[in-house]
Amino acid sequence: MSAFRVHGKGRVNHGRKVGFRFDGTPFEGLEGDTVASALLAHGVHLMGRSFKYHRPRGPVTAGSEEPNALIETRRGIDRSEGRVEPNTRATMAELREGLEAVSQNRWPSLGFDVGAVNDGFHKLLPAGFYYKTFMWPKSFWDKVYEPFIRAAAGLGRSPDAPDPDSYASRYLHTDVLVVGGGPAGLAAARAAAEAGLRVTLVDESSEIGGSLLSEPDVVIDGTPAWDWLAGEVAALAALGVKLMPRTTAIGYYHQNMIGLVERVTDHLAEPDPALPRERLWRVRARQVVLAQGALEKPLIFDGNDRPGVMLAGSAQTYLNRYGVRVGQTAVVVTSHDSAWSAAFDLAAVGTSIAAIVDTRAELREDLLGRAHALGIEVLRGHTVTGTAGRLRVSAITVNPVQSGAVGAGRNIACDCVLMSGGWTPTLHLFSHTQGKLEWDEEGKTFLPFETREDCQIAGAGRGLWGIEAALADGSAMGARAAEALGARVLARSHAVERDRTGSGVAKKELPTLKDLTSTRAFVDFQNDVTAKDLRLAVREGMRSIEHVKRYTTNGMATDQGKMSNINGLIIAADALGKPAPQVGLTTFRPPYTPTSFGALCGYHRGDHFDLTRKTPIDPWAEAQGAVFEPVGQWRRARYFPKPGEDMDTAVARECLTTRSAVGMFDASTLGKIEIVGPDAAAFLERMYTNPWSKLAPDRCRYGLLLGEDGFIRDDGVIARLAQDRFHVTTTTGGAARVLAMMEDYLQTEWPHLKVWLTSVTEQWATIALNGPKARALLEPFVEGLDLTPEAFPHMANGTCTVAGFPARLWRVSFTGELGFEINVPARHGRELWEILWQAGQAHGVCAYGTETMHVLRAEKGYIIVGQDTDGTVTPQDAGLGWAIGKAKPDFVGKRSLSRPDMLVESRKQLVGLLTEDHSKLEEGAQIVLDPSQPIPMKMVGHVTSSYHSQALGRPIALALVEGGFGRMGDLVHVPMEDRTLAARITGTVFLDPAGDRLKM
Amino acid sequence: MLLITCPYCQETLPEAEFVYAGEAHIARPEDPSQVSDEAWRDFLFIRTNPKGPHFERWRHLHGCGRFFNAVRDTVSDRFLTTYKAGEPKPDLATLTGEAK
Amino acid sequence: MTVVPHELVAGVLSETPDLSVSLMPLRGRFSLRLMPEGTDPAGEVLGFRLPTRIGARQAAGSREVVCLGPDEWLVVCDDADRAVIEQGVATLAASVPHALVDLSDRELTVMVSGSRATELLTLGWPRDPQSVAVGTARRTVFDGVTVVIWRDGETQWRLDVWRSFAPHVLDLLLTGCRELAAG
Repeated sequence: MSAFRVHGKGRVNHGRKVGFRFDGTPFEGLEGDTVASALLAHGVHLMGRSFKYHRPRGPVTAGSEEPNALIETRRGIDRSEGRVEPNTRATMAELREGLEAVSQNRWPSLGFDVGAVNDGFHKLLPAGFYYKTFMWPKSFWDKVYEPFIRAAAGLGRSPDAPDPDSYASRYLHTDVLVVGGGPAGLAAARAAAEAGLRVTLVDESSEIGGSLLSEPDVVIDGTPAWDWLAGEVAALAALGVKLMPRTTAIGYYHQNMIGLVERVTDHLAEPDPALPRERLWRVRARQVVLAQGALEKPLIFDGNDRPGVMLAGSAQTYLNRYGVRVGQTAVVVTSHDSAWSAAFDLAAVGTSIAAIVDTRAELREDLLGRAHALGIEVLRGHTVTGTAGRLRVSAITVNPVQSGAVGAGRNIACDCVLMSGGWTPTLHLFSHTQGKLEWDEEGKTFLPFETREDCQIAGAGRGLWGIEAALADGSAMGARAAEALGARVLARSHAVERDRTGSGVAKKELPTLKDLTSTRAFVDFQNDVTAKDLRLAVREGMRSIEHVKRYTTNGMATDQGKMSNINGLIIAADALGKPAPQVGLTTFRPPYTPTSFGALCGYHRGDHFDLTRKTPIDPWAEAQGAVFEPVGQWRRARYFPKPGEDMDTAVARECLTTRSAVGMFDASTLGKIEIVGPDAAAFLERMYTNPWSKLAPDRCRYGLLLGEDGFIRDDGVIARLAQDRFHVTTTTGGAARVLAMMEDYLQTEWPHLKVWLTSVTEQWATIALNGPKARALLEPFVEGLDLTPEAFPHMANGTCTVAGFPARLWRVSFTGELGFEINVPARHGRELWEILWQAGQAHGVCAYGTETMHVLRAEKGYIIVGQDTDGTVTPQDAGLGWAIGKAKPDFVGKRSLSRPDMLVESRKQLVGLLTEDHSKLEEGAQIVLDPSQPIPMKMVGHVTSSYHSQALGRPIALALVEGGFGRMGDLVHVPMEDRTLAARITGTVFLDPAGDRLKM
Repeated sequence: MLLITCPYCQETLPEAEFVYAGEAHIARPEDPSQVSDEAWRDFLFIRTNPKGPHFERWRHLHGCGRFFNAVRDTVSDRFLTTYKAGEPKPDLATLTGEAK
Repeated sequence: MTVVPHELVAGVLSETPDLSVSLMPLRGRFSLRLMPEGTDPAGEVLGFRLPTRIGARQAAGSREVVCLGPDEWLVVCDDADRAVIEQGVATLAASVPHALVDLSDRELTVMVSGSRATELLTLGWPRDPQSVAVGTARRTVFDGVTVVIWRDGETQWRLDVWRSFAPHVLDLLLTGCRELAAG
């Protein structure tokens, strides 16, 4: 069965078989496998097709940097469409019972793919071909090019059902965060924890250990590596270190804020449904130790992407961690010593090493001796000029290179090629900090240099090689982090036997005999970018590495160029004839690895997506079948339909009932600010346009608030409760903004005023009663206040009890009818509402919502800030000049009202509109003076409010029109899609201009 | 997410508790009616928008509620200092010297 | 799934051996604002010294107070005590400029306690819980909502939340209870 499994080898559980399917075929793997390792154990390398050319591809790595082996998985027990996860890296996907994996980017099958014709036409699809090809003819874009690109583009397939899983998030505060659980990270965590600090250690793998998991033969302080690792992990746990495997540090943000994504359930066959699938951690660390290790680079040669060709270090991981031989006969191609140890490890389990091909002429004697002892042929100073095989490598062509000249080739049969172009530190998180890099000429790579963050880099992440060095450096950096936090600890060192240190050279693409245009030497495997593409980009004038990147898409795939950036840089620098450090590296951006939207949303989806504020009376409205609308963060009842009513009929009934009997309205959402202190009136004088000093303590007044720019910001009724106490109301949506604006002026402009502001929006539930029968309904419940018109006239306020509840009662109206607003403590709102509702039945009461409120106020020409104003409307423009205290020396916005552009007569002014044919206008419709003028017409304003008025038996509208006050009686025109409506300009008060109904 | 020191609470806290409130040290004229149109325009609309240290206002909205002033480097996004409203403008040379 | 009660009735909403979330009965609550020179006379009226460090608390009998800002205190008391406090503070009027505003109906209080209470708060609280010492309180932000968080014990917390924000906050807390119970 598993022909390539090495019994007894690796950290997988050989006693626990796990069944899964790949492209419908059942397979068996072992507990501890990834999808990639389990398939490789069956000799399956072909796992996907490439993005652009649909070339057959297999895993080239064993980790999160994998560019090729991208598969679609279905999670959970039900494997429903919403649990489809495209672009899962097979090298990271942990095996679990019943896992369903499907290959991507192929049709009809992985073995035979129609899209692979692109590969035959690769000469027609060079770098930048999208920019060049699809420019002409223009008409081809919609019909030909775009459909073709859409069909061919994209990795994987997006699921089209909602994700049924939940996602979570946490904040975490820690003294030291260590990123990476390899030897350097383990040692750093140990040092910091021994200093008594709160330490968190994260690793993206399913197990803590990093490179130690692939190096079982190493002996640390006399203990075999894996025993040492188990002891060390236990010691860290005992020291209180928070150990987080399966957790990827995705981004390094300002001031040591690190984003982590923890994979909670993907590896479980039957997860508890209460568990989130993933959890985003927002970590604030006082010190960060980056111990992310290094990534192996591929060598660039023709056919380096054939399934079976992989990184030597990854082959070693498959063998030592997963107990899988990646092939029967291997050729090792390298420019670095590390690949030699992969060859020796594989040879030890019976894989035939056909040859070790090293690009270097000078080689280490001990390596040569070992190869000789194992009977492995060594070809030094050689290059690779090609590979063969359709869906799997079957042979490799190697050629000697002497004095720069490539000699005759020789074919070597093999079923896998293990390559190594050396190692490059994982710089991504360090780069997120805007940290500076320095070029290491010897290693031909960038190393971290300095960063503004409180951050240490340890081990291979800063170019150190070997486990002993990583342990020592990790311990030193952990101690340094502890010291920076004022803790003292001694760094440790460890004696390591059978450590594998080594060195190598960095290469551009390997020399070849072939015509360069016919070679397919891949640099970026995921985006199918070849060395030839990079050189073409430079030839075509790209000078900056950022331009080369965008023109070729090198490093722009979901792997963020983990394998390709340095190779791309070396080749581009060569083509430009400049040293690499002068060309520089492109920017790494978060996230480090692809991150699900679910993890980023966390709890904020579905009902918890955003806040929905509800009033105490809301449950009653819901029970009555109200239709709601959002207003700011609140949900408000819009209308209360009776059975069979649509909005128009319900609103017409509500309007009629309120004008003829009495209507009840939940006004609890209005913003309320209590302004208290000896300077309360003086403060209001400065904030609002109106005068306040002489307002009596039992009266209300309409207040108008401007910005300093002179434009209307908010309005509302303000009641003076006592000499030093005002109850201010604001618009529903403006409450927080108005309070913030008042606090700003009070704290920073007039700090000497003895006055304090408190939001009481939610302290009070507010019930508005409007209509000719409002007093008759209310009066029997009121104690402590005489409601007769003489004793309690329009704009009076008083304190009393209503149905026994303490109340602030106002006589105000936003409908033009006799009106009262009853403020009671929020806990009593619902009860009072129901009492009044019951009593109101005898008066023919109705409940009305925001839609009816809008109609009733429009009939009276009362504006709604934000609907009839838009941030460019002055009090004069809105016809509210009367609300300005003319004698006041100053108030917020006063100076702006005399700026020259505020005084011109052609400003847009708020007027009424009545259509000639009684059509209802569309809100937002544009207004023109001459409907027969050529298009584009000159627009002179727009409709701000438009309703059918039940009281007038016709539609009415409000509009902002240039010079509107001077056009009373004029006809204007509103062009619509199918016709042009004529409307006459009128005043804004359509009903009861004398206000008699208010005074009842 | 930045860390911000509230000069009233004397605590360094996550940015989520704060809101930005525009450039600092732009005082409202004592008597706006005496200010020319040009000067009033500048007061309303003209801001420095520097690359580097910026005097700006923040409010500890989800906290003590106070507006306060800060100097933040717009390149590095680091706060050089924060101080209470009404306190004098700190000397920039001293601040940037300290930061180095 | 636990549904956040629309009517917000006081009682236990979730309880396990290591974590419980309850909605508390309403109490009397006032915002008290005054200048620094007013703290001593106001304290005399209230029966304790007004703390002046932001976050610091004082208590006397069933009354307690926390300093929320340089000129701002939150006073919590029994319902029956409200009139007493109002009358007492009113005697200050002439000599000490101040503002006393009744907020007894503005906020609801959620109690979170148990060995995993602090962990539960990390679901929505950007601040380090360790920065709030036992016996202190802070106005802060939880899942985007302004709250006053009181730390009554090592693992005992109280959250004061505006009435209309309470369902949102409770929804996250109860989601968190289920999540923590699962693992």
